[in-house]
Amino acid sequence: MTLPEQRTGQMAPAMSVRGLVKHFDTKLAVSGVDLDVPAGSFYGLLGPNGAGKTTTLSMAVGLLRPDAGQAFLLGYDVWQAPVQAKSLVGVLPEGSRMFDRLSGPELLAYQGLLRGMPAATVDQRSRDLLDVLELGVDNRTLVVDYSAGMKKKIGLACALLHAPRLLVLDEPFEAVDPVSAALIRDILQRYVAGGGTVVFSSHVLEVVERLCSHVAIMSDGVLRMHGALDDVRAGRPLQDVFVQVVGGRVATGSELAWL
Amino acid sequence: MVQPAPDGGRGEATYNPGMRPRRGRRQPPPGPRLAPARSTRQGLGVWPFVKLKLRITANGLRGRPARVTLFVVGAFAATVLAVLGYAGFALPGLLGDERAAGMLLPFGGALLVLGWLFLPLLFFGVDESLDPARFALLPLRRRTLIAGLGVAALAGLPALATLTATAGMVDTAARLGGPLAGLAEALGVTAGLLLCVTLSRAVTSAFATALRSRRARDLATIMLAVVAASVGPLQLLLLGLLNRADWDNVAAIATVAGWTPLGAPYSMGLDVVAGRAWAVPIKLVIVLAAVGGLVWWWSRTLEQAMAGTATSGGRGPAARADGRGPVDQLMFRWWPRTRFGALVARETRYWWRENRRRAGLVALTMAGLFLPLTSALGPVTGMAGGMAFLVGAIAPVALSNQFGYDGSAYATNLSIGIPGRLEIHSRAAAHALFTVPLLVLVAVLAGAISGQPARIPAHLGTLFAVYGTGLALMLPISVRAAYALPESTGPFAVTSGGGLAKGLPSLAGMIGGLLGALPVVLAGYLLGTAWTWAGLPIGLGYGAAAYLVGSGIAGDLLDRRMPEVLAAVTPR
Repeated sequence: MTLPEQRTGQMAPAMSVRGLVKHFDTKLAVSGVDLDVPAGSFYGLLGPNGAGKTTTLSMAVGLLRPDAGQAFLLGYDVWQAPVQAKSLVGVLPEGSRMFDRLSGPELLAYQGLLRGMPAATVDQRSRDLLDVLELGVDNRTLVVDYSAGMKKKIGLACALLHAPRLLVLDEPFEAVDPVSAALIRDILQRYVAGGGTVVFSSHVLEVVERLCSHVAIMSDGVLRMHGALDDVRAGRPLQDVFVQVVGGRVATGSELAWL
Repeated sequence: MVQPAPDGGRGEATYNPGMRPRRGRRQPPPGPRLAPARSTRQGLGVWPFVKLKLRITANGLRGRPARVTLFVVGAFAATVLAVLGYAGFALPGLLGDERAAGMLLPFGGALLVLGWLFLPLLFFGVDESLDPARFALLPLRRRTLIAGLGVAALAGLPALATLTATAGMVDTAARLGGPLAGLAEALGVTAGLLLCVTLSRAVTSAFATALRSRRARDLATIMLAVVAASVGPLQLLLLGLLNRADWDNVAAIATVAGWTPLGAPYSMGLDVVAGRAWAVPIKLVIVLAAVGGLVWWWSRTLEQAMAGTATSGGRGPAARADGRGPVDQLMFRWWPRTRFGALVARETRYWWRENRRRAGLVALTMAGLFLPLTSALGPVTGMAGGMAFLVGAIAPVALSNQFGYDGSAYATNLSIGIPGRLEIHSRAAAHALFTVPLLVLVAVLAGAISGQPARIPAHLGTLFAVYGTGLALMLPISVRAAYALPESTGPFAVTSGGGLAKGLPSLAGMIGGLLGALPVVLAGYLLGTAWTWAGLPIGLGYGAAAYLVGSGIAGDLLDRRMPEVLAAVTPR
């Protein structure tokens, strides 16, 4: 597995969004999000379902045009200088946003060549990634027939292939079995230790608490709280902070007595 | 969406997860807790199903003016067809032509039944608003479910239109043989409607269970594409044969058809007219036996359909260690290892591996081969070459929603940032890899069949010109009017409504492409021998120029609209 080279002296934030706003029809999905992700951080974006995490990340990486606001990746404006910005970033999009009628190796080769990498490099790195993620270099199974965990792993491999300086991952641990999750965690930790920056969305608090150096909590399209993990927690369990910030019911009264 | 139980929803009484609905015999043990549940289930008639279906239809229209418009258009079309059908079937009675009635009613009726069988499979998809799988967790007896789904299927535009149209047969029978004949025909028509509905439900349910794996579904889509593509040519062939047939034979066949389940319901009144009233009960038994058999078949497959489609398809040809690297697995040996090469390689694989695209290719190939053949069988043999250019116009239609085929996977290209023109050129190139050989084949075939091999180059020129102008229009359309295809598990499921409006831009593009290439097409017709060799280079140049202009426009358009295209093709 190829690790990104050690990078030092990053001053500009790896990802920075200013005043992002997005409407879907009449619903306000994201309203005025400002966020700076420091270079070299492991950043968790938390929030309940429908909080606007995916929408925010999609706008930040140039998949969704915001109604208002700006997004910068490693100092490049995503909507003004998309080529430079996108070439330094690896993205794991939500759900099955992959060309899943290709086999895993084919998908990696496609990604690598589209990134303009030399064929030999693509081959070498793809083999490394397929080996480490236990997907098999000679596995001809189409990605559409992969299990959920395998799909996440091949998606992660695609995002890592060009050794980006920033990884943006949408729900990387969703529907992943514990073994694969541990493997993904290990890869991401090594990546950050090597100087990379990871931003990922999740609603699994345990994972975030264990991995992240920074967290942000969203709900109803608004950024409720953000900062270094310890500052956000302020000595309490993250679960308590999350419930307090997001609100909502966590216990039942006497209603379901018949259950 | 679950309809509350009619007893007002004392939920604890009906909730009974461990028990599968069973036929007959093993009744649950009577007890104070279960007693209300049993009475509830017996009290559940067919009305909740009908109400549920109407409610789902209404909710599908709510707040969507485009859907409402389409629904109104569909209702209008159904009304027109129903009235036309009524008029057609009533005509023999008005004319007092018993012989014509004897042919029209059984044949027309049989055609209706076949229509109920094939049209949902081929074109319209099955109305899945009452998908059996959604009732799987409810404690319903199979009999209740069958009755409910059947009656709900009757409550729809197609059933109403069919009933109205076939009422024309009652009219004819009553005019020819008095009220008794009319009554017999009314009985037959009603039984016929039951036959239509049970047939279509039973067959689609059987299909749904047979097509559980992805591979089987892919295969079935292609089979259907072949059938669909051959319907047109077969029709021409049939008309040609009918022209030569003599009417006595046809009448004899009609009499025989009247004794099959297809024609029996619709010829009952005619038997009374002809003084064979004894035939009516026999035919009624034939029809009801067919309906009963279909219901039995349906109930057999229903339980499997309720279990839903298993997602895990065949594992495919796994792990064949030939030591080729990932790049070599993706690309062909002689392919350039560049971005363009990778894009074309991926598109090429998708044209073969994605079943909707493959079905499109198969249909195009069928059309391409049959169009020259059938027009050769037609009245004027010289038409074979003349009609072939249509294939060039049909071919680009497959690209009219090319981003819709990708769906949200297009996010991959977007997050990498592929320039618009590169994207468009690569997709057109992959499409051309399949279509250009086909166009050459069509040109050769058309020239050979019409007995004028010397005209092959000119045909080819015309084909290329039409293909090029078609692409020039279709590529910008594919960027501008992209729409999401449903991510369906079943091959026949459609999102209700909207198919027509979404297909309109591609139809307009096809016609526009034909008009744009009109100079070359006309020159091919009018200039005769002078065109024989000039046709190829001129047509090729015309098509290439049109393509360059169109693809340039499409590429620039895509550069400005990439996120919008992604949003448009992402299924919701």
